[in-house]
Amino acid sequence: MKKLALSLLVLCLSLSLFAQGTVEPVKAVELSPVQQIIQQAQTMTLEELARKAIEESNGKTFYGLGNSSRGKTALPLFIEYLKSLDPSYKMEYEWQQPKNNTIFEMLSADGAKEVGTYAMTLIQDGNQIESKMVQTGVLDRFIPKDWADANGVKAETYKGYLALQTLNKIFMFNSTGAKYFDNCWDFVAPGEHGLFMDIDSEPVGRNFLYMLTSDKYAAVVKSAFDALSASDKAVFQPTIDAVAKDAKELGLGANGKYALAWIKLWMESYNAQTDDGPICNTLVTDSATDQFGLIVYSKLRSVQESTNVSKNNVKVAAYEDGYKGFGGYGYCHYLFVTDNSPLPWTACAFEAYMTCTQKGFSAWGKDIGGYSSNPLVVAENDAVYNHSKGGYDANGNLVFPANNDRGLTWWTEQGNLVIEDPEYCASVAFTVGSWIDALARYNH
Amino acid sequence: MSKSNASRSGAWSLSFNKLRTFLSKPENVILLLMGIVLTISTISPVVAIIKDTFAIHPGTIDAYLSKKSSGYSTINYTDLFTSRLAVKNLWQPIANTLLLAIGTCIFAIVYGGSFAFFVTRTDMKWRKYLSSIFIFPYIMPQWTLAVVWQNLFNSNAVTGTSNGLLATMGITMPSWWCIGLFPSIMVLGLHYAPFAYILIGGIFRNMDSNLEEAATILNTPRPKTLWRITLPMIKPAMLSTVLLVFGGAMGSYPVPHYLKLATLSTKYVSLNAKYKGEASILAIIMMCLGGAIMIVNQLGLKSRKNYTTVTGKSGQISKISLGKAGRILIACIFVFLTFFTSIFPILSFGFETFLPNPGDYSFLYTGDSSNLTTKWWATSENITENGMYGQKGILYNKTIWSAYKGTLLVSFSCALVAGTLGTMLGYAVSKKRRSKWASYVNSVAFLPYLMPSIAVGAAFFVLFSSDKINLFNTYTGLIIVGTIKYIPFASRSALNSMLQLSGEIEESAIIQDIPWTKRMTRIIIPIQKTSILSGYLLPFMTCLRELSLFMLLCTQGFILSTTLDYFDEMGLYAFSSGINLLLIVTLLVCNGLVNKLTGASLDSGIGG
Repeated sequence: MKKLALSLLVLCLSLSLFAQGTVEPVKAVELSPVQQIIQQAQTMTLEELARKAIEESNGKTFYGLGNSSRGKTALPLFIEYLKSLDPSYKMEYEWQQPKNNTIFEMLSADGAKEVGTYAMTLIQDGNQIESKMVQTGVLDRFIPKDWADANGVKAETYKGYLALQTLNKIFMFNSTGAKYFDNCWDFVAPGEHGLFMDIDSEPVGRNFLYMLTSDKYAAVVKSAFDALSASDKAVFQPTIDAVAKDAKELGLGANGKYALAWIKLWMESYNAQTDDGPICNTLVTDSATDQFGLIVYSKLRSVQESTNVSKNNVKVAAYEDGYKGFGGYGYCHYLFVTDNSPLPWTACAFEAYMTCTQKGFSAWGKDIGGYSSNPLVVAENDAVYNHSKGGYDANGNLVFPANNDRGLTWWTEQGNLVIEDPEYCASVAFTVGSWIDALARYNH
Repeated sequence: MSKSNASRSGAWSLSFNKLRTFLSKPENVILLLMGIVLTISTISPVVAIIKDTFAIHPGTIDAYLSKKSSGYSTINYTDLFTSRLAVKNLWQPIANTLLLAIGTCIFAIVYGGSFAFFVTRTDMKWRKYLSSIFIFPYIMPQWTLAVVWQNLFNSNAVTGTSNGLLATMGITMPSWWCIGLFPSIMVLGLHYAPFAYILIGGIFRNMDSNLEEAATILNTPRPKTLWRITLPMIKPAMLSTVLLVFGGAMGSYPVPHYLKLATLSTKYVSLNAKYKGEASILAIIMMCLGGAIMIVNQLGLKSRKNYTTVTGKSGQISKISLGKAGRILIACIFVFLTFFTSIFPILSFGFETFLPNPGDYSFLYTGDSSNLTTKWWATSENITENGMYGQKGILYNKTIWSAYKGTLLVSFSCALVAGTLGTMLGYAVSKKRRSKWASYVNSVAFLPYLMPSIAVGAAFFVLFSSDKINLFNTYTGLIIVGTIKYIPFASRSALNSMLQLSGEIEESAIIQDIPWTKRMTRIIIPIQKTSILSGYLLPFMTCLRELSLFMLLCTQGFILSTTLDYFDEMGLYAFSSGINLLLIVTLLVCNGLVNKLTGASLDSGIGG
């Protein structure tokens, strides 16, 4: 029996070692079949791509995976477009939105197959994308010709990822009470517990904290601190002094200690939630007096007016007069083709459709808080939806002021939106990142 | 030369005869085959995840610290055990996990065991109704009770969210009641109490009451009878309950996740992005804790060898009289308790599907029917407005119905395979209980259950996501993992009941040369029908709403539990509530069908 047990153990070891043979990163010595298709696709117009897609996917099922649920809305519009070129065209589709950062595990697992399930992905968190997906050869970058032309770059020499859009997560507060927030330090004042998606569940929240330590945004935090009253400053000063040494050790700039202090207070106070949806549901109720959250702006669209619930129960902090500091943060949704994509032409065509046409972007563009990476689409989208007047009804009456989206330019320049830079995030992920991990957390 | 040939041929013939005799006993064949298959299926993923703790993962802490992008290192162990995050990432979660598992065991056994006692051994009123309703929390996915807990007790003042039901009535519960260890124990305890009820109740029902009656005749005080006779007799079921509940509670991800308790399983998920190798070490630690519990159980099982108190199914069960008032009073207490654990969640699920916004109870305050909607059921278009997020209503939602089909396929398959294999294994182990191989096979079969679901899922994810074996996002993969994980349900259930069967019953059939299949189908299975059916129904029920085990192995719309969790995470409670109702109806229909076809069922077999 001992021999039998030993043999079984050897068998198991072999099996598990054999099974793990693909953990090693793939070194792309030569172009994979999908990369070869992408190389050709990058020289084609949307219509040319669409014709290739029709040839490839007619009668098939398209599987997409994304951090946004709206891929599901964009796909039927894409199919409609392909049908306009070939009325006999037919394609089934399925769109999945994994939670809790499992999208990376799913893509890695699917990437180990010879032919994957997923044709493409819409994914966030540039930091993880680079190290886990691009360097390991799981995902391939595709830059549509039309998009490159619109942005004045060349597809073959462009080094960045293809961004579908920039999204903003902004501070909003329930305005049914008397409390008022006019400085980003107000959100970390004693007793405040902002509602925020757990940074372990959604690492772009973690990236936002990393970005605050960059010189550019640390200066914004410092300037907001300078605008506080003397008594308010006295509340935060001990924390700033306490982290000054850490800021130095972490190699941060002169204002790094202000950023670290804000991060420390935020980590110790924010009330972690599973998604922005439940946070929005809470903030818009009349019982959530004085509560605030840092959530995706577009969530306001999902609110249905009722006796106890209204979009008018919330205010956008950065829109308030005299607001100081950053009003939220911005991050990108990137588009990639999987390296073992079963439908690479269709994936490229779909990505081109979403990034180069107003209708393709409309699944996101019809609502506030999402801004296309294609300037032509931004202009067309504004012409169609006019989000800067999104709070007005058909008669020109202002009914929901929070819905008047001031646009990405305003948010970055006036609202001091903290924009994610994957390179900076990667550089501090295990220095500032580990420092953040060591902090105490509220309700943990 | 010829002498040596003869002796060699004699030795061969002796070995062959020995082998033939060995294989002529069905229990030996079962143990041999199951031993081989289960060793491979159980140990391979464990080896894979151990290997993962040494691997360098691109983009994670091990790659950063070792300055390598591939290869192997012990850096994950060094960092997890010695860094300044050790308390937060390791020791605190271990302590919380142990407290949660122990607390859940105690609560489940006390609550479920007492209920089993009242249902099976007393003349309490409304036993049939209570027996049916008591198992509802086990039917429902465990985190839905956590969501109900939040909807009841959360408040703007304490949890910083919108007011729950009690808060709207002016009652604010303290923080320790709303989040952390206490609610996690309560929710998991309520979830697993039916489990204790099913296992302990099965023993109570089949237990020979002669000894208790003898004690009564000898004027032994009731507490002494309970302590010296009843408890030792139900000890195997209690130990099984502890084993199963401990493993289940330890590996539960969604309940501590929703109620904000840092356990090993929640840490496993939260560390996975940046500390993948260290997360795998946490999975190994969970497995070790499970193994330790199994050793304790083995010791308990060995010490039981001196008891030969039960000799088959007695027809002389006598009910303890609670008195005219007592039988109604105790029943009323259970009716009250089960209302909040079983009826209220269902009512709230139903109500939730008609609210305009998740958790928007405007209708209750105003009575205005415009504050209700049927959009969550009847929307037939793909729209993003009004909180539908591009989802069609439940009745038209292809994702939900396709996930439902997938769930049924996985659940039926797992129940069938795990139930059959587990029953055979329970039978074989009971026949060879003193054999070391039987003990090994029994342990190795049980190992996956003791390993936390999330760790088993992670281990199989590593094993099943390579270019050679790739069962990621396939029903085959889920069925294999589910079967391996749930064999212990059936084997434990079968083993407990078989151990109570006197060997003489089968021996007398053997003397009359009755074949094994006939012995099984005509004698063993009919006698222990209830326990064996539990071995099929428990995997079915568990599989139907299993999340932790499957969440890494498939995508959100693949099965119903991952779909349900997706909607809960998104805050789309109308969809998750609708799915819950669907699951409950399915379970009730299946339970009813089994009841009609076989005359036995999960609850009525015990309590009816």
